[in-house]
Amino acid sequence: MVSAVLTREQGVSWGRLGRLLAGNPGSVRRPVAFLALAVVASTIASPSFLTLANLKALLTSSSFLMVLACGEAYVVLMGMIDLGVESMLSCAGMLAAWLVVFHGFAGWEGFLCALAFGMVVGGGVGLVVTRLRVPSFVVTLGTYWGLLGIALLFNAGNYIAPSEGSHVTFTFGGIANTTFGVSNLVFIMLGVVVVAQLALSYTPVGLWVKAVGSNEQAGKAVGLRTRDLKVMAFVISGSLAALGGVMMSAWQASIYPTSGSGMSLQAIAGVILGGIPFTGGRGTVVGAAIGALVIGVINDIIVLVGLSSNYEYIFVATVLVLAGLQARGSEFVK
Amino acid sequence: MSTAEPSQALGPPASSVAGPRHQGADGPPAGSSVGQAGNSAAADSGPPGERTGQRASPEPSGPEPSPGALLSVRGVSKHFGPVKAVDNVSLDFYPQEVIGLIGDNGAGKSTLLSVLTGYHRADEGSFFYKGKPVSITSPRESRNKLRIEMIYQQLQLARDLTVWENMFLGEELRIFGFVSDRRSMRRRAGEVLERLNSKIRPGDILGNLSGGEQQIVAIGRAILFDRDIILMDEPTAAISAAKVEDFLQLVRDLRALGKTVILVSHRLEDILAVADAVAVLVLGKLHCVVPNQDLTVSDLVHLMFGGQAPATASGGNLAQARWQLRHGGTGGGA
Repeated sequence: MVSAVLTREQGVSWGRLGRLLAGNPGSVRRPVAFLALAVVASTIASPSFLTLANLKALLTSSSFLMVLACGEAYVVLMGMIDLGVESMLSCAGMLAAWLVVFHGFAGWEGFLCALAFGMVVGGGVGLVVTRLRVPSFVVTLGTYWGLLGIALLFNAGNYIAPSEGSHVTFTFGGIANTTFGVSNLVFIMLGVVVVAQLALSYTPVGLWVKAVGSNEQAGKAVGLRTRDLKVMAFVISGSLAALGGVMMSAWQASIYPTSGSGMSLQAIAGVILGGIPFTGGRGTVVGAAIGALVIGVINDIIVLVGLSSNYEYIFVATVLVLAGLQARGSEFVK
Repeated sequence: MSTAEPSQALGPPASSVAGPRHQGADGPPAGSSVGQAGNSAAADSGPPGERTGQRASPEPSGPEPSPGALLSVRGVSKHFGPVKAVDNVSLDFYPQEVIGLIGDNGAGKSTLLSVLTGYHRADEGSFFYKGKPVSITSPRESRNKLRIEMIYQQLQLARDLTVWENMFLGEELRIFGFVSDRRSMRRRAGEVLERLNSKIRPGDILGNLSGGEQQIVAIGRAILFDRDIILMDEPTAAISAAKVEDFLQLVRDLRALGKTVILVSHRLEDILAVADAVAVLVLGKLHCVVPNQDLTVSDLVHLMFGGQAPATASGGNLAQARWQLRHGGTGGGA
């Protein structure tokens, strides 16, 4: 009798502790807890992890993936998927570079053209998904291959970089310069995360996005234009991937048709780590960005401790399985 | 059953003709769009919904709305291919009353509701809202112009969102036109839940609530936006048997708040417990309308399969039934 009471009270207190640390399903506390774990483990593994120089480098090199994850978050929140973001990153980066290097466009012109390209392709994907009712998995598998194919055509499969001694600048308005010792790419990334999160939390459109992901019929019943909202999600995803491409071009001062290789699945992994379930409906953009940063931390620490980068995937896989466990949510337990 | 009287006095139905015709001659209502001009003009110039010689419907015979009725349905039909799902149905709905709508499977109950909510467009017939001709072409029109709210059998709510987010979904309060006024929405949702004597908190996640509590949230929407007519499709199907009495009390509370409730249910004992009158559909046609006086479940079953109305029903005219109900008589004139 007494022991039964005790166990029950222990159960309650564990539940409270767990809730305090991890919050409700979809809460941003979970990816934050993941990040804290990753940082602690990395600091133990390599003391040089927690240095300002390393953290700045980590944030800079993770900024592309974090921007991709923000766009991917909107798509996954609505219960869909965008596998094509990495090819969009490469293709838009190649487009911007091609316009600037081969056609004498100013940096900002190339930048804007790449963004517009991302929006138009994203809108096209959204229209095919919503009007022709092709699953987003299939359509974006198409853009994954198709945009990679286009990226290869810009310079016959080769990379693009300004030729030696030419006057062409390749900074796209200095987006890869540093301000106060921190790369502008980090500020751009932060700006994207903040705006995307505020839009999700503090505008009706953000609420609609979550509502459609949670129960599309409920959205329709109150008169939401669910198809247009889905198109919007792909436009956001496409344009943020294009932004990532230009950011990467500026950072590397060159761009390869395969620069984004592997980043689609990493962005999706970041979204899942961030607490957005595949069925959509709940979670945060900040969480997705932090999830992407966790993947960046894993890549970083592998380099720091001198392991072969071949181990990266195994680490990511382990973390993702753990993330999958926490993403089950409470209704399965019920 | 009911002692709640609406404010306006209703005369014997046969004698009141002048009122509605006068209203009909007023022309289109002030706020009506161009699209309805044709409709109301037709109603002015002649009897558009009247089909002479076809008196399948025992309800109000003419094309005119009954005086004092909140919503009048006249000669409405809806076909699906060769199937007449709803066949020339005419009904009146008055403020502050509960109408049970019963019929066998396929009798047209759900179709009639979907016509009223704007999901299906009636092929024939006309509607009058507060005596003025209106069209129902979209769910938005039904909700905002006719102030109809539908409570679905499978509640159309988003499990991942909070209670207040569900209640305001699609009609959010805003600051500057694009920022959600979260604080006000939360507060007003709390006020409505209090009015419904519920302990639900506006910040609760909907998926954590019981079926009955979720139903209160759905009904809360109707109160929040001051809907006049609340349609309920099998409302007791989703809640536990122990909570049915709570639900029936909620329906009585809604009536006390001045709402019209149209209740579709297979649980005839629920209908008998709350309805003021029962409308019976048989094969898409309105078979009869009987006041809920001394009725038994077997009476209703008898009617659902085409049996004759009991002596008290006097021809199934809802207006007559209502008049009897209020004046306690069994005949047409007292």
